[in-house]
Amino acid sequence: MNLVEKILARASGRARVTPGEVVVADVDRILLHDLSCYLTARVFEEEVRQPVCHPDRVVVVFDHHFSPPTEEQARMLQENRAWARRHGFHLFDCGSGNIHHVALHAGFIRPGTVVVGSDSHTPVHGTLGCFATGLGNYSHAALGLPFGKAWFRVPELVRIELEGTTGLGVTPRDVALFLTGQIGEGGMVYRALEFAGPYLEGLEVFDRWLFPLITVDVGAKSGHVQPDERTLSFLAELTGERPEAVRGDGDDVAEVRGWTVDGLEPQVACPPTVGNVHPVTESAGVPIQWAELGGHGGGRLQDIRLAARVLRGRRVHPQVRFNVVPSSRWVFTQALREGLVEDLHRAGATWFPPSTGSNQAINMGALAADETMVSTHARNFPGRNGGGRMYLASALTVAASAVAGCLADPREFVR
Amino acid sequence: MEARLGGPCVKFGDGVNTDVIIPGRYLVSIDPAELAEHAFEPLGPEVQARVRSSPVIVAGSNFGCGSAREQAATCLIGAGVRAVVARSFARVFFRNCINTGLLAVECPAAAEAARDGDEVWVDHRAGRVEVAGQSFAFTPYPESLRRILESGGLIPYLKQILAAQAARER
Repeated sequence: MNLVEKILARASGRARVTPGEVVVADVDRILLHDLSCYLTARVFEEEVRQPVCHPDRVVVVFDHHFSPPTEEQARMLQENRAWARRHGFHLFDCGSGNIHHVALHAGFIRPGTVVVGSDSHTPVHGTLGCFATGLGNYSHAALGLPFGKAWFRVPELVRIELEGTTGLGVTPRDVALFLTGQIGEGGMVYRALEFAGPYLEGLEVFDRWLFPLITVDVGAKSGHVQPDERTLSFLAELTGERPEAVRGDGDDVAEVRGWTVDGLEPQVACPPTVGNVHPVTESAGVPIQWAELGGHGGGRLQDIRLAARVLRGRRVHPQVRFNVVPSSRWVFTQALREGLVEDLHRAGATWFPPSTGSNQAINMGALAADETMVSTHARNFPGRNGGGRMYLASALTVAASAVAGCLADPREFVR
Repeated sequence: MEARLGGPCVKFGDGVNTDVIIPGRYLVSIDPAELAEHAFEPLGPEVQARVRSSPVIVAGSNFGCGSAREQAATCLIGAGVRAVVARSFARVFFRNCINTGLLAVECPAAAEAARDGDEVWVDHRAGRVEVAGQSFAFTPYPESLRRILESGGLIPYLKQILAAQAARER
């Protein structure tokens, strides 16, 4: 069996499972953010009204609000807080960071487990060798909270093999954007993805992270990396405990697709969708007013380091507001220790509290109709951040563009 | 849920995303009628009126891509939509349809054949879509999921099971 089949077989108490079957599986972790928590709580308390089966498996992170801007939002957070406390869930309040980064840093994600959440980018936890996927709130309210379970149709697995070496100024984020464009939105509907190959295996855990992150945007159900020595030592360092690794047998793969990263240029997802990916050179010169490091895929320590490489000794362009959002308090601590907070501040960037950044413009990041933003975020659909146009890129490209005042090829800044 | 349901359709193209179906700012509501007022709001009042008067939505590939929000399905129920027939669905949207009791049918040939405004009827047990007199086959739901769908979604399904359990224990 492959990794997904092994995990789902164990979780549903079967010797084996095959693609297409519907199974009811035990859920090891339920992740809720401030928006989904509110809805799940309402459905659960108004309609289901059952005791919670495993409160210690539920993690709530307020990441869309780092501080409520209206009384209505303050009330919503207050209700969430009271609900989480009443049931004894793990609660991370405003200012903790992005839901997925916080869950990982706090040691809640273990290889071989089933992780679900209402956030559509929940599959990112496959980075550590989980079966992780996004479900609607009804799933949590009706099956997850009262019974610790969820139903799944067992997906077929596609292995994506990446090989080659990237050139100067080309980062794992560029490779992930390139793949999204190559596979296409909806190119992998209902399937599970296994990211593999020498390029991917050579990356550190938080760079591998960018690959399962694209799962939902190519339509797939889950995405993972087979746990290896790097995964296990990462977890041992994080939690002080070396977990058992579950690995697939290497067979039972419906399809194998391969790409080389040799000669790849820095990539940008252009409006209006995440799959509209082109080399940055095709969009270079487009004026921008906003730049941001943040979101599910940005605000990592790696992103902040990359931005500092560009910004040291340079200034953010006077027509650009460059916002930096660390993905967790841990990232901010590390950035402080490495002097990166001062580097970016001196260059004219603005630091925001750990959170999920301008995603859906709840706390920040609304655009006027004729404004343009370039960011490390995961989505750029029209209307998501008010008006305006959104480009998605690597931290290097975001920082280079913030300096240039327009979309810029980062290779000219990191020579 | 009736075995056969349908009526005139409104047709969309490929890649209709959840930010278009129900914008993020309305997501604090779980009331289908209230959500329905904002369904397809980014496409303007004419499209919204068409959706409200069409029991069937026909779409291209990857309908419902983007966020995992259930309201993308419940707002359509509130607007009076009974079935969505598409070339393909984003998986979370498809799942949310089952869990909220909205019939979602993947049938590329029917989605291709239907023109905007055509009569489209779906028999989900037989696995058949009729478009303006032509008939197209699709794979019916596995029984476990059909039971959830026919109960009107996961919550009513759960309530039925809990009620049956309580009756047995009495």
